[in-house]
This record gives sequence, structure tokens and C-alpha cells, in this order.
Amino acid sequence: MHLTDVEPGTLGPCPVAPDALQGIKRQQTNPGRWNGPNWEEFAAAVRARGIELRETPAARAAFATDAGGTAYGLAHGVVIARSSEQIARLLQAAQQYRVPVTVSGGGLTTEGESVAFGGVLLDMSGMSRVLHIDADALTVRTEAGIFWHSLAEELRRQDLDYLSAPLNLTSSVGGTLGVGGIDVNSARFGCSADQAIALQVVTPTGDIAECSDTHNAELFQRVILGYGQFGVITEATLRVRRYTPLRMHYFYYASLRSAIEDLQLLDRNDASDYSGILTIMDCAVNVLVAFDSPEREAAFMAHWRPRLSAYGELGFGLRALIHYALRPWKLREAWYLLERKRELFPELRRSEYMRDGTMLDRSVVFSRAVWKFWGGRQMVIPDLATSAAKFIDAVERGNAVCRKFFPHYTLYLVGIKLRPEHRAHYEMSCIPPDAEGWAYGCEFEPMLDGGAYSRDYLQSFKNEIYDIGVDLGASYYRFGGMMKGYIRRVFGDALVDRHLALKRAADPEMILNRHVIF
Amino acid sequence: MFGFPISTPRPRKDYASCSGCGLCLLVCPVWRRSRDIGLAPLGRAKALQHGAVAADIAESIQSCTLCAACEPACPEDIGLVAMTLDLRRQLIQPAAVPSLRARMDEQAARPLAPRPSSSAVLLPGQALREHPGTLARAAALLGGMSNIPIADDDGSDIALALEAGVETPAQRLQQFLQPLRGLKNVAVADGLLLRHLRQWLPGSKIASLGLALSSLAQVRRALRASDLYVIEPRAYHADYQRLVKHYDALRSDAGCTLNLDLQRIAIPASARSLAQRLEPETAADIRDDSVQARWILQGRNVERIVVENLEDSAAFERVSKLPVVHLADLADDGTS
Ligand SMILES: Cc1cc2nc3c(=O)[nH]c(=O)nc-3n(C[C@H](O)[C@H](O)[C@H](O)COP(=O)(O)OP(=O)(O)OC[C@H]3O[C@@H](n4cnc5c(N)ncnc54)[C@H](O)[C@@H]3O)c2cc1C
Ligand code: SF4
Ligand code: SF4
Repeated sequence: MHLTDVEPGTLGPCPVAPDALQGIKRQQTNPGRWNGPNWEEFAAAVRARGIELRETPAARAAFATDAGGTAYGLAHGVVIARSSEQIARLLQAAQQYRVPVTVSGGGLTTEGESVAFGGVLLDMSGMSRVLHIDADALTVRTEAGIFWHSLAEELRRQDLDYLSAPLNLTSSVGGTLGVGGIDVNSARFGCSADQAIALQVVTPTGDIAECSDTHNAELFQRVILGYGQFGVITEATLRVRRYTPLRMHYFYYASLRSAIEDLQLLDRNDASDYSGILTIMDCAVNVLVAFDSPEREAAFMAHWRPRLSAYGELGFGLRALIHYALRPWKLREAWYLLERKRELFPELRRSEYMRDGTMLDRSVVFSRAVWKFWGGRQMVIPDLATSAAKFIDAVERGNAVCRKFFPHYTLYLVGIKLRPEHRAHYEMSCIPPDAEGWAYGCEFEPMLDGGAYSRDYLQSFKNEIYDIGVDLGASYYRFGGMMKGYIRRVFGDALVDRHLALKRAADPEMILNRHVIF
Repeated sequence: MFGFPISTPRPRKDYASCSGCGLCLLVCPVWRRSRDIGLAPLGRAKALQHGAVAADIAESIQSCTLCAACEPACPEDIGLVAMTLDLRRQLIQPAAVPSLRARMDEQAARPLAPRPSSSAVLLPGQALREHPGTLARAAALLGGMSNIPIADDDGSDIALALEAGVETPAQRLQQFLQPLRGLKNVAVADGLLLRHLRQWLPGSKIASLGLALSSLAQVRRALRASDLYVIEPRAYHADYQRLVKHYDALRSDAGCTLNLDLQRIAIPASARSLAQRLEPETAADIRDDSVQARWILQGRNVERIVVENLEDSAAFERVSKLPVVHLADLADDGTS
């Protein structure tokens, strides 16, 4: 099939997946491959500038897809990031020869945002050094290709820790600052992007600039949560904190609504240091809360625990026993719950990751579990981000969509504390424009379990979830790549066109991450 | 002797199952040095998934140090070490291989080693043989009342052949295994040989030298809270699920620091490529060792380094002035 190459900034027709919203044109799921005529000259020019460009099939194959595994594309060549100067030279050549450059950090996008459909793939993991830790000021300066977990390894040697990062060991600092970064303490600290104090950025035209809220503020505001449109983040200064292990508690609910109500109650009252919801099924919902100190834990137990409508593990087990004893036709469901509990719970309590009843590193425990139980060569994780008021509605509607499409799935829900002084960062991002105080995010993650689902099926599922967002006036964490057709629908033409004009001014040849947003 | 259970290896998946999660990068010493995904399991897996053959990724295959840290890190449970060895067998062999073959043939022509007089034996490997005092102390410790016999033939040439992806002639393998058959306990210093011995001698308890020594009360007693205890990674990762608990208990008893990362995976102190192992005198530099040893020591407040593997001593001695002691020498350590 011939796919017409779509000019960046315009929407092409969708020849592949069905459209869930009637009458609205949607972006094709994979962009056409860039097959520019200038590759050979560009490659020679790049090498003449002292940049190693790898063109072997093996080198390119490593980046053929992202964590989603549904978008596939091959770069013409791969460059491993080594320095800001090298990236500046690369981008200058890319502008000159009109060659697209796609940046990959950890490559944990799921909609093909970090996949190169031709042109250059810039692998940021080559820039992974921690440059300076200031234990007194509680800041770290690091190269931005570093994985959060590698950063944690270094910080921990000084008894420090990052504030918040995706519960995922291999997302990079630069990739995360561009998209958000939600942790189970985001309801207190905001998202990872909120932890950035200053950045070094290589602009799409190859200038190296330092920026922060007080210096080059406009660049900073566009790069933070900017989906890699306005520059390559090469270094970041981040807030850090003293390390504390976690005192973790799990509470059980039979209904999503009551669990969310309790989660929001806890967040509003700063009742715990960490909070979130993880479901096994929509009738087996887990609210996790955790604490940095025994004092906070004791205060929670005294004041807040009695107000929760939650069950303890034993109480929930008994309730389930009675429930299923009276409904023997639901035995398969009961069996699934039991199996899940048997497999998953020990993983969350492995003795080598616990000490004196505390969890040593939440990312290690949860990320390893996520990859083990949810990971695979294909992952679809559509999400909805809404204001606190709309959240229950969004989750219940999303849950109904999940039920329709998949036998088993997990929902992961967290609050994100908004920082009024960061309003400018949030424009056209995962933070919904109408959210005040907290935004809430829900990921809908089907258990694919090696099942054979067509891309169309998965795309239809995502569309139905995303349509809820359009309907509610929400936002999404993953709105780029294959889902970018929704950007104009949720943000409106005026805002998108303004950002597009900024992008065109900053990146005249639209070379940097050209298919992600526009 | 060796009072712990042995675990049966499970069948593992292959590269086709790689999800690209990248967890292997976090623990791979080759990636740490190079920051090149192509040299780590992720890069190999993705290349093979997209039609590459061994020759296309030869540099990656040869640079792997077989430390096996990636195996317990991999959520897909891919048999990454076996796959690297398999890929090595498909490559044109390095120049040093003829001399390795000649060494095995020469060994095979020797008379069969006598059967050990007890039900246990120690296979010390070349590095330990070069330190007869330490070897004697290890044997005395493991023997309890009498010394554990030290195997004349410890299969060092076979261990190197395994590492190089060179087939061991059947005659040589039989000659090596014959005296070991039926033994109850085998302590082995080489972590790669250990993996294979578990398959070749299914009835015996095969333990790493580090595990065997660190299970002894007198050795544990000699450890101090200010020690950095350096686990030999190959054996540790080959039996990770069980050993992570053993070493956690050791840490908790002695209060010492271990060369483990936040995932409780061992950070290899030395990271030698195949070329460096086959031709230690002529191979390119051994900077890798310094990078790893420095990383293990970074920010750690320790007074003494205790190693399970003598090869690690040199790596630490190059980057620090701290005393480095082999586990077997702990009780006699002059710095006590
Ligand atoms: C299993 C799984 C679990 C997840 N869990 C969480 C979670 O708990 N919380 C959460 O917030 N997210 C989560 N995510 C989403 C993922 O962590 C985020 O998308 C992630 O932060 C992206 O980081 P990355 O380094 O992988 O970026 P990439 O995927 O490599 O890139 C993201 C975008 O940024 C661009 N980019 C990358 N690096 C740079 C740079 N240095 N400068 C400029 N642009 C750049 C890319 O081109 C791309 O458009 C999860 C994803 C998966 C697959
Ligand atoms: S065995 Fe060690 S060196 Fe080889 S790929 Fe695995 S972690 Fe890297
Ligand atoms: S850890 Fe395993 S599944 Fe993940 S990238 Fe490495 S080899 Fe692939």
C-alpha cells in the first residue's frame, strides 16, 4: 500500500485503523518513512564533522520499535550521543540537509514517539554520566540520557534519592522531563518534570543553551513537557532528597469508585507520603500508601485509616470467599484472582528488597514486577488525565471499555500535585487545562498474555479510551506518535497552531522528532 | 560438607522473547563502559530479531565478559549466557584458539587423574594455583578435620574453551569428568565451569568456592562490618534466586558491605573480554577492571576488601590502597 508522506504539522488520512469517533479524520497510525534524497551527502557531512554514524542493519535494528512494540520503523543511521557539541553539529547538519532526527532515551514510549521512520536515530543513553551531586543544596547535575535507576544507584551511595520518577528502571531523565514522569509520590511532589531546576538544551538549529525558569525561561517552558519538540535535553539539574526506605501498606476495595474517593481524600489531606491505586480486577482494587517515617505512618493509622472504607488483606479474602461461594458460576474469576495474588504478592515482598519491614527501593520492586507480569513484546497503555472532579467518571468509563476489549487488565491510578508556578510548563501537556490543585491519571493496561491481537484491535481499544478524553475535556500522558490525531481534538486548533508556529520558528526544517506531535 | 540444597536449572527462553525492556543494560559492565546498546543483550536480541546473524554482531558477542549479571535482571528469563556461548560457537574462532585446542589435546594425552580419596574435591582454577598458600588454606578450611583434595586436573583448559565457544573434544571431557563422577561435593572456583558441571554431574553438589567458604562459621566470624565483600559474579548469578538469600544473610550477620547494586545483582569487579582472557599478555588494555572496581568503591566507606575470586584482587589493588584479602586468607589476615 502506498502511504503519502504527510507534511509535518498536517493530518494525513488514516488508511489503517477504524476510527472510533464518527466523522473525524484521524492521523495514519504509522507515518510514512522518510526517504529523503540527501542521505548520502548528509552522512558524509556528518562524518566529516567527526560524528560516528552507524548504518549497519544490526545497529539500526536495536531501535526498530519502542516499548509498545506496535510501531516499527528503521532509521537510516544511528548516532550514540556523546556530548552536547556533537549533538549540536548533528542538528546543524540535519537542518542543512533536511534530515529528520528522532531522539530516543529509554525508548519506553508506546506510540512510536521514540521510533525513527527514516533519518537519524539519536540514542541519548550514550550521555549517562552524573556530573555533580550537591548533598548540601540537595541537587544533582546529570547528563540527560541517564536512566533514573542509574541515577538512583549513584545518589544512593551518598544516601540521597531522586524525588519522583516513573516506576520504571529504564526511562531516561531527558525523555521523562519531556513527557511528565509520574511516581507514587506525585500527589505530593508533582511529576518528574516539576523537579527540574535547570536544563542544558541543544536547540533544533544546533545552539547549546542553558535555561531555567529565570534564564531563557521561554525555552525552558517549551522544553519541559515539550515532547522533544523544542530541543534535545542534554543535561539537567534536578532536586534530590535524603534517602528513606518505604513503609508500605496495601488496602483492598471491591469497587473502583470507593477506592478513588479514598485516594483523593488521602491526597487532599496529605495523609501519606506515597499513594496510588493498582487493580487486579475492577472488583479487586488495591490502594497502596507508604510513608517515609514511622511518625507519618503512626499519624495515618490513628487519623486516616479508620476513615477509609477499605478492607485489610484478611477481611478482603473473607469477603471474596463468601462472594464467590454464593456465585459458583464466577469460579473462573475467583481462580484468576487467586492465581494473581499467588504470583504477584510475593514479588512485591521479596526479602532481598525489604529490610526490617521497609521497602528499600520502590522502583526496583514495582518495575521488575511490571516487566515480569505486564511486559512483553507488545504493550498498549492508553491513559486519561483529568481534573480531580472528572476522574471517577473517566475511570469508570475507561474500565467499561477495557472490559469490552480484554478479559484481564490492570488500572494504575495516581494523583499529580500541580505547582501553580509551573502553569506555563503545563500548556499542551498531560496536565489537563482545567485541573486545579491535583490532576489525576489512569493507565489502562490490558494483559496481552501472549494473545494474538491485531494492531487494528489494539488501536480501536486506544481510540475508545481516548474518545472519553475528548468527551470529558481531559488530556493524556501518551498523546504523541500514533495517538497524535487526538491532539487537536483535546487542545483545540488555536493552541495547537500557536505551538506549531513556535515549532516552525525553532525548527525551520521540522527535523527534530518531527512525527511526535505535529 | 556443603550443607545446602542444589537447585535444578529451568529451561530458559531465547532472544526471540526479548521485549526490549533494557533492564540488562543497567547491570552490564560492557554497557557501563561503552554506553553502546549494541554491545549489550538488548542490542544482540534486537539485531537477531531483525535478521542479523552471529557475524553481524561479532564485536558484541566477543566483548561479553560472561559475568551473567544480565540473566537475573532479565524479566523474560532469557538464557543470555548460553545464548552468547552459542553465538560464539558460530563465529570464526579467534587466533588464540589453535593453541587452546593443542592444550586440550595435550591434556587428553595425559594419564587419567587419580580419583580423589574423599567424597569431595576442590577445582581451584589457574588463579588460585598461582597462590599456593591461599590454595592450601582454602583446602584446609573446606576439609574440616583433613584437607579437601585438590584436583590435579581442574579443567582450566575446558573452562577457557567454554568461554571461547570452542568445542571440547569428547575424549578430553571424559578424562576430566571421570574422576569426578560419583563424588558428593565439588567446590569450583570458576563460575562458568560451575554452570556446566551442574549439567555434567547431576548427582553431585556443585558449589562455588565463594559459597563453600562463606558458609563456614570460622570464615564468617572473621568478617567485619567495615569490610567490602566482593562476590564472584558468575557463580552468584548462575544460582541467583538462592544465593541472593545466602548473601543477604551474610551481610546481615557480618554487617559488611557487598558488591551488590540496588537490584541485588553483583557488580563485577573485573570485566575481561574474551580476547583479554585468551591472550592476557597481548590483548588490549585492561581499563575495564578499573572502571568496575572504581564504581564498586565509589562513595563506600570501607577499610578492607575481601574477594572470593583472586582475579579481582588486582583490579582493586590498581585503584585503591585498601588491603585486599582472599576469603581463604581471612582468618590469617595480618590486618586483623
Ligand atoms: C512498562 C512501562 C511502565 C511505565 N511506567 C511509567 C510510570 O510509572 N510513570 C510514568 O510517568 N511513565 C511510565 N511509563 C512511560 C514512560 O516511562 C515514559 O514515557 C518515560 O518517562 C519516557 O522516558 P524514556 O527515556 O523512555 O523516553 P523515550 O521513550 O525515549 O522518549 C520520550 C519522548 O521524548 C523524546 N526524547 C527522549 N529523550 C530526549 C531528550 N534527551 N531530549 C529531548 N527529547 C527526548 C523522544 O523523542 C520521545 O518523543 C511507562 C512505560 C512503560 C513501557
Ligand atoms: S554476561 Fe555480563 S557482560 Fe555479558 S551481556 Fe550479560 S551482563 Fe553484559
Ligand atoms: S533484560 Fe531481557 S528482555 Fe529486557 S532487553 Fe535485556 S534481554 Fe531483552
